[in-house]
Amino acid sequence: MKELFPAKQVMGFVFSLILTVVALLVYFTDMSFAVGMTVLLITAFIQAFLQLVVFMHAGESKDGSAIYTNVFYGVVIALVTIFGSLLILIWDM
Amino acid sequence: MKIDHTQPLEYSTDQNQLNILGFWIFLGAEIMLFATLFTSYFIFEGRTGSGPTPAEIFEITPVLIETFVLLTSSFTIGLGVHAMRLGRKNAMLTFFGVTLLLGLVFLGVEIYEFMHYYHVGATYQTSGFTAGLLTLLGTHGAHVTLGLFWGLFIILQVKKRGLTPENANKSFIFSLYWHFLDVVWIFIFSFVYLKGMM
Repeated sequence: MKELFPAKQVMGFVFSLILTVVALLVYFTDMSFAVGMTVLLITAFIQAFLQLVVFMHAGESKDGSAIYTNVFYGVVIALVTIFGSLLILIWDM
Repeated sequence: MKIDHTQPLEYSTDQNQLNILGFWIFLGAEIMLFATLFTSYFIFEGRTGSGPTPAEIFEITPVLIETFVLLTSSFTIGLGVHAMRLGRKNAMLTFFGVTLLLGLVFLGVEIYEFMHYYHVGATYQTSGFTAGLLTLLGTHGAHVTLGLFWGLFIILQVKKRGLTPENANKSFIFSLYWHFLDVVWIFIFSFVYLKGMM
């Protein structure tokens, strides 16, 4: 039975639960918008990275570097699209 | 078909390795799909018109249930892949089954949530905010729904034909899809719900 619950994945799960609870502090405590957003950005990106490495085994095969490059490229384009649009349409810069 | 026994079953042939790499490239495109939906949501978030604001319609309880259920399902499918690598077919099928049940709970709560939005007057056509919100949530929910059927067929195939390199490959790729949906949900949870209720 024990072999079915590898320590790495159990730790990954516990850590992602902790990150979720930390993110929830934004709701349950009184934080300024800037502090809250900083907390959320940090917890969300750590958690996404955790999923990628621990659960999706992104780096384990010989295609690991191609996979990371592909994901990294996707994320960069995503961030440029999101923040570029916000910059022009919402923050009015 | 040359089978490399030093690799886990899902990587054991060249075709299998290419399938996995190809699916990652698809996930790269999925990142962009959700990025555009997040973009339109963020832009329309403040355009509530005469409709409700985010803080008025979001409820913490269903969001908490959805988050923890999906997070746990991502864990259980990870355990399923681990069991598959140990060659424990029944354990793997149990973990995949638990994953799909959790996915079903998630979907049930999301349907409840959509009904709640309808009842408080936040429909697709109410405002820019609700249109952006429901498109984003709906696209994610549609992915989960598709995943439920996909996972069901994977379970049936493994049950019927056993753990072959081909089936292991399909199962692994399905697990990538499911983890990806959890990653998207982490961002929805953080930057739609928690940001909206802050």
